[in-house]
Amino acid sequence: MLEKLKHVFAHALINLVRAGWGGLASIATIGVSFVIIGIFLLLILHFNALVAEWKEQFQVSVFLDDKITPTQLEILGKRIQNETAIKAITFTTKEEALANFRRELRGQESLLEGLGDNPLPASFQLKIREGYQSPDALRRLSAFLSRLEGVEDVQYGQDWIERISNAARIMKILGMMIGSVLTLGSAMIVSNTIRLAVYARAAEVEIMRLVGATKAYIRAPFVVEGMLQGGLGALLALGLLFAAYRFVAPTFNLASPIFQAAGDPGFLESSMMAGLVGGGAVIGALGSLMAVRRFLKM
Amino acid sequence: MIQMFHVYKTFGNDLEALVDVNLHIRKGEFVFLAGSSGAGKSTLLRLIFRDELPTSGQILVNGRNIVRMKPRAVPHLRRTLGIVFQDFKLLRDRSVEENLALVARVVGMPTVEGQRRVAQLLKLAGLTHRAETPPYKLSGGEQQRVAIARALMNYPLILLADEPTGNLDPELATDVTRLLLEINAHGTTVLVATHDLKLAKEAGRRTVFLKQGRIVEERRLEAPFKTTLDAKERDSDENIRGGVAHTPC
Repeated sequence: MLEKLKHVFAHALINLVRAGWGGLASIATIGVSFVIIGIFLLLILHFNALVAEWKEQFQVSVFLDDKITPTQLEILGKRIQNETAIKAITFTTKEEALANFRRELRGQESLLEGLGDNPLPASFQLKIREGYQSPDALRRLSAFLSRLEGVEDVQYGQDWIERISNAARIMKILGMMIGSVLTLGSAMIVSNTIRLAVYARAAEVEIMRLVGATKAYIRAPFVVEGMLQGGLGALLALGLLFAAYRFVAPTFNLASPIFQAAGDPGFLESSMMAGLVGGGAVIGALGSLMAVRRFLKM
Repeated sequence: MIQMFHVYKTFGNDLEALVDVNLHIRKGEFVFLAGSSGAGKSTLLRLIFRDELPTSGQILVNGRNIVRMKPRAVPHLRRTLGIVFQDFKLLRDRSVEENLALVARVVGMPTVEGQRRVAQLLKLAGLTHRAETPPYKLSGGEQQRVAIARALMNYPLILLADEPTGNLDPELATDVTRLLLEINAHGTTVLVATHDLKLAKEAGRRTVFLKQGRIVEERRLEAPFKTTLDAKERDSDENIRGGVAHTPC
């Protein structure tokens, strides 16, 4: 068994070396495909981190009527707190609201001159549970809160939520579409390279068939060769992506200003990297199987 | 050992390669399959090693119906056969030794046994001194002897040879036929397709004549020539059998 495995790997490596520029071209092309797939993965990863961070910070402001009585306020607070969608509730008095506003306008306090009485309303800031942050759920919650006594207005970044959700969805779909096309393309590239390798070894394959080699025995080195090409291509892509992520992107300020504010999730997780290399190997193996299958039809 | 019953093989719609072929070859027999080019000799051999399936009819090889054999069993059938071709089918980029060792690896023979077998067969073929040489540096006769040695690697029950002397001059052809007769003398059933009647006549063995896909005649030709395997060698044939008593070489 060990002997056979040794033979299979040794032959796969020898074939890969014999494939020369053809093999390198195949690895490079798979690498480029995987760079594009990787860019999408990184974008989706960072975008998801941004959305998660944004969702974490997201809150609904319930502005209160100036004429609300302390009893009404207490009842309203309890009523809101009892809603399952609400994770946390904080109350901001009119005075605190003005103080916050002043803080935000530091250096431009003159704008506040002549404001007269404090025009800012008291408010509840509501943190929303994860499952209730969809645009529909928020719309329903907002409508419900608006109807409560003592509530003047309900505000949340509805447009933003919808835009971000749509963008995330589009990116996911686009990523999947481009990923599928590139995956198929990569498999076909490996298939072609392996087909050339099979033709180059046609005599050996024929002799092996004649002396009683099983199809699996003949196939194995080619499949491993395809796996190596796919895996190496994916590794190359990871290397390029990592270099670009660490050295190129910060120079152009592409990634950091948008994403780092949201808490940089870093480069791809190790499981994702393993997935990419494994995916490359599987694509290589499949491409190789396609090539050998046609040749081995006995 | 080989039995064919009403075997027909048609390529496409109307190219009849074999027509109602009935053939029985007994264990240990040496049979020539004679006929001109296109008579169906190669097709008949290819049916035996299941490179082709007959259009109709049944073929038994070593008691097994190979027409009904599942594709995954074909490699195991071929491991009981040795096959030799006119064009040798040797790997140019490997040495003689490596060409033989390929079979050992394919059939999963332990390395030590494989090496021993290679050495035995190189000795039988008279090519021990050429073990490291790539085949293209050998003469045609030597290359065919390598091909025959390779065919014997897995102790086949049957040796099939398709025009094994077709590319050789008469002297070398006689050498190769002599080697095949020696192998047969050790118990291996041998079936040789040839268009060279002179060789069949020299060998003096049963000859089956094919013409346009039909067996038209069957007889033993005259004047056998001597094999180098004399009685004393026949008694101790271990340099071919290599100690595997139950299987012919």
